[in-house]
Amino acid sequence: MKDNKIHIYRTRTKILLSFFVCILTLVIVRFFYLQIIQGNELRELREQNINAFEYIYPKRGRIISRDGTVLAEDRKVFSLAIDIEQKPSEQSINKLADLFSEKIIVEDLRLKVGNSIRFRRTEIVINKLTQEDLAKYLVSGADITGFSVIEGYERQYNSHPSIFHVLGHMGYINNSDVKYFSPRISEYNSKLWSKVGKSGLERVYEQKLQGEHGKRFFQRNARGDRRVVTDISPFREGEDLSISIDFEAQKLAYELMDERKGSVVVIDLQDFSIPVAISTPSISANDLRDISSSQYQDLLNDPARPLFNRAFMGLYPPASTIKPLLTIFALNNGYTNWDETIFDDGFFRFEEEERIFNAWREGGHGLTDLEKALVESSNPFFMNLSIRYEKNLFVEFLKSSSFGSKLCEDCYPHQFSPLIDDNWKYKNFGKELYKGDFINLGVGQGYMLTTPLHLSLISGILAKKGKYELPYLVAKKQNKLSVIEDITDEDWNKLQSSLIDVIYSPNGTGYRINAGELKLAGKSGTAQVVDINSREEYDEVRVNPLLRDHAIFIGYAPYDDPRYSIAVIVENGESGGRVAGPIAKKVLEELLNDF
Amino acid sequence: MIFNLRNSIILFSLMTIILMGSLTIYSVTSIDINYFLRFLLINIFVILLVVLLFNQINLNRIFSFGWLLFLFNILLVLSVEVFGKEINGSKRWLDFGFLSLQPSEFMKITFALFAIQYLRFYSFKFSKFRTIFLLLVLFLSAIPIIAQPDLGTGLVYIFLGLMFLFICGMHRVYFTAIGIFGALLSPLIYSFGLTSYQKGRIISWFSSDQTLSEKWNILQSEISIGSGGFSGEGFLNSKQNEFNFLPEADTDFIFSIYAEQFGFIGVFLILIMLGCFIVMTTLLTMTEKRLTSDLSPYYIGTYCTLVIGFSFLLNILMVSGMIPVVGLPLPFFTKGGSSLLCFSIMLGLIFTSRGFLK
Repeated sequence: MKDNKIHIYRTRTKILLSFFVCILTLVIVRFFYLQIIQGNELRELREQNINAFEYIYPKRGRIISRDGTVLAEDRKVFSLAIDIEQKPSEQSINKLADLFSEKIIVEDLRLKVGNSIRFRRTEIVINKLTQEDLAKYLVSGADITGFSVIEGYERQYNSHPSIFHVLGHMGYINNSDVKYFSPRISEYNSKLWSKVGKSGLERVYEQKLQGEHGKRFFQRNARGDRRVVTDISPFREGEDLSISIDFEAQKLAYELMDERKGSVVVIDLQDFSIPVAISTPSISANDLRDISSSQYQDLLNDPARPLFNRAFMGLYPPASTIKPLLTIFALNNGYTNWDETIFDDGFFRFEEEERIFNAWREGGHGLTDLEKALVESSNPFFMNLSIRYEKNLFVEFLKSSSFGSKLCEDCYPHQFSPLIDDNWKYKNFGKELYKGDFINLGVGQGYMLTTPLHLSLISGILAKKGKYELPYLVAKKQNKLSVIEDITDEDWNKLQSSLIDVIYSPNGTGYRINAGELKLAGKSGTAQVVDINSREEYDEVRVNPLLRDHAIFIGYAPYDDPRYSIAVIVENGESGGRVAGPIAKKVLEELLNDF
Repeated sequence: MIFNLRNSIILFSLMTIILMGSLTIYSVTSIDINYFLRFLLINIFVILLVVLLFNQINLNRIFSFGWLLFLFNILLVLSVEVFGKEINGSKRWLDFGFLSLQPSEFMKITFALFAIQYLRFYSFKFSKFRTIFLLLVLFLSAIPIIAQPDLGTGLVYIFLGLMFLFICGMHRVYFTAIGIFGALLSPLIYSFGLTSYQKGRIISWFSSDQTLSEKWNILQSEISIGSGGFSGEGFLNSKQNEFNFLPEADTDFIFSIYAEQFGFIGVFLILIMLGCFIVMTTLLTMTEKRLTSDLSPYYIGTYCTLVIGFSFLLNILMVSGMIPVVGLPLPFFTKGGSSLLCFSIMLGLIFTSRGFLK
C-alpha cells in the first residue's frame, strides 16, 4: 500500500517534471526565435517606436519686380496654440479667455483643449497674433500654462491689385494640384505641402519658390512626449524670383484703366520680357488669402470677373489692329501693292452673296490706297483684299504669327489665340471656311480672336520688322527667333511710316492721342461686340454700356528704335484711338522715362 | 540541510535568479543604486526570515492549521470586495499602507495546506466522496477570485490545485472527467461568465488586430525581447523601458525588459538556472531514501517547487505572446509584496520539508 503510494507519487512527479522540461524547452525555442531569428526585425520596430521626425518648413522664395519692389514674401506669423506637452489648467483656460475676450469663446477653447489632449495634436487658439496680442500674452502669460506661441509663415503680397493676376495666389493643395505638379516637379511629394501656388507665377515656379523641407529627428516616449532632438537635416529655403514686371508702370496702367474692364500688356522688345501685364478689375492678392468660401463664390460670380486674367486669357476680336499684320501677308503674296486704289463709299458689297458690310465711317473715305487705308482704317479696302486670300496661305500666315500656339511659357493660366482654319470652323460650326468668312477675318472681326498678350506681340512683330521671340515673365528659355514671311525693307518702312501717320497725321485714327515727343507708332481698333446691320441698331446698342464696342490700341515706341510694344483693350470703351490710345501713351512714357 | 554539491547547485541557481530579479527591478524602476541594494536586501531578508521561521516550526503544526489558514485566506479574498482598491477595473489588493497585498495570491498555498490536513486524516485514501468534496472546495473557492474579476489568477489557482491533487494521487478518471467537462463548458463560460475586459484579453490574443491595446502590449513586449538579440543591449540599456513603450514593465512584463538587457544568453542562463533549481529540488525530494509512511512533506515540497517553476514559465509564455495576457507575476522578479511573500513562503516550505526529512 505504502509502496504503491510512493510509486504513484514518483510517477506523477516525473510526469509533471517532464511536462515542465518540455515547456522550458519550448520557451527557449520561442526566445531563440524572437531574439535570434526575428531580432533585427523587432529591433527595427523598436527604433520606429522611439525615433520620429518632424518637418522643418522652408521659407518660400520672394517675388521681386524689375525695379526692386518685393511683391510677395513669406512673413513670420505667430499663433497661440495649445501645448501638447502639458495640459492647460482650468484656471489658465479662464484667464486666457479673459485676456482675449473678444477673440476667444471659453466653450470653444475648452473643446479645443479636449481635442488636443484626445488626439494629441496642436490646436491653434488664435491664428496670426498681432504685435499687440503677442505683447499682451507675453506680459501676462507667465501664470498661464499649457499654451505656447508657435511660429509659422504666411504669404504676404504687395496689396496693389494690379499685380494679383501675374503673381497668382496660394491655396490648400487638392487632387488637381497634385495632378498638375507631379509630372512637372521630379519626385514630387504632395504630402509635404499644405498650400501650393494655384495660379500665376506662384504656380509656374512652385518648385523654385517652395524650397526643400528639412527634418528634425527626435526621440519620443510612448505618449509622444519627451523630445530629445537627435539630428537636424539641412533644409533649403525657396529661391527668390526676379520677374520682368516694372511695378511702377504696372500700377500706373492699372490706375489709368480707372475701374473699366480691360487689359494692358507691354513687351520689352530688347529681350521680349513682359514689363506690364494687367487685367482689370482685379483684387489684392492678400484678400484672396483670408477670404471665406462664400466671399470667394461672390468673386467667382461677379459679372466683372475680377479673378479672370484678361491679359493672358481674354479673347477679343482684334478689329482694325490686325490690319497692319495682314498687310504684310497681302504684300508678300502679291494681293496688293502700295499703288492700288479703291473707292471707299462706306460699305463693302460682297457680290457672290449679295451681302453688304458696313464700315465704321458714314460716307466712307473716298479714293483710298493701302497707306490711307491703314492710317484712316478703311474697312472696305481690306475687305476687298480679303476676298482674294487663298485659304491655305492665310492659315499658314496666321500660324507663323503665333495663332494657335502657346505664346508664353510662364504665363499661367494661359490661352492661345485660336487658329482659324477648316478644322476650327468644322469643330465649332460643322462647316468649312468659305470666302465670306474672310471678309470679316480680314478686318479682325468674325471668328478672329486674340489675347491682349498676343496683340502686344503682334505690335512687337511690326516694330521689329517681322523678327520676334516668345515673351516671358521670368525665365528666358532658349528663346528662338521667329521670322514671319518676309517682305522687302522698303515695304516694311512704308508700313511703319503708315503706323506713325496713324498717330501723327491729322487724318490718323490715333491723332487725338497727342503723342507728342513719345515717337509712338500704332494702330487703333474698335471691336464690335454684337453684329450690327444698320446705323439705327448701332444707336440702340450704344445705350447699353455692356454692348458698346471694345476699344483697342496696339503700338510701339520709340518708332526710330523700338523699345516697347503695347496692347491696350478697354472693354466697351468704344473708341480705340480716343480711349485706349491715351492709356498706351502714358504707360509707355512712364517706361521710357525710367532710362 | 547539508551543503553538498547538489544542495550548492540548488542554492546557487536560486541566488542567481533572485539577484537577476533584483537587478532587473532596479533597472526598470530607478536609477538609484541604493534602491537596488534595498530591494535585494528586502528580498533576501524576507526569504531568509520566512525560511528560518518555517525551519523553527514543526511542519506538522502548520498542517494542523491548514483549514483555518484556508478559511482565513478566503475571508481576506472576500474582504477585498469591501476594502480593496481598484486597479484596471478589478479589485484585487488590500492596502496596508506600507504594503499592499493580493490575498488571492496565497490561495494556492493555503488550499494545499488545507488539502494536506484533510487527506492526511484519511491517510491519503481518495474515496469518491472525499475526491468530490475536495474538487468542490477547489472550484467554489475559485469563484471569489474570478469574481474580482481576476480570471487569470483564478484559473491558475484551479490548475495548481488540480496539480496538487494529482501529486497526492487522486484517481486519474476525475482529471479526464474535468478535462472533458471543462472543454464542453468553456463556450458557455465565455458567453455568460466573463466581463468585457476579460473577453477583450482573450479576443486580443486570437485576433490579429493590432490596435487592441492588449495586442499592443504583447507586441511591445515581443519588441523588447527581440531587441535584446543574442547578447542584449546591456544592463540599464532597455530603450523600451526608457521610453515607456512597455506597460507594466515592473510587474507582469518585467521579463521582457530583462530579455532586452541581457539578450538570448541572459534568457538562456536564467532558464537553465530555473531548470536546475526545479529539477534538482524535485528529484532530490522525490528520491529521498528514507521515505516515511507520511508522504505529506514530499507532496507539499514537490508542489511548491513545481508552482514556482510553472509560474515562472507561464509568465514567460505570456510575455512572449504564446498564451493570453493573464496577469501572472514572475517569481522573484515582479515588484510586489504579495508575490515576494508568497514565493518566500513556498521556499520556506520546500526547505522545511526537506529539512524535516533529515
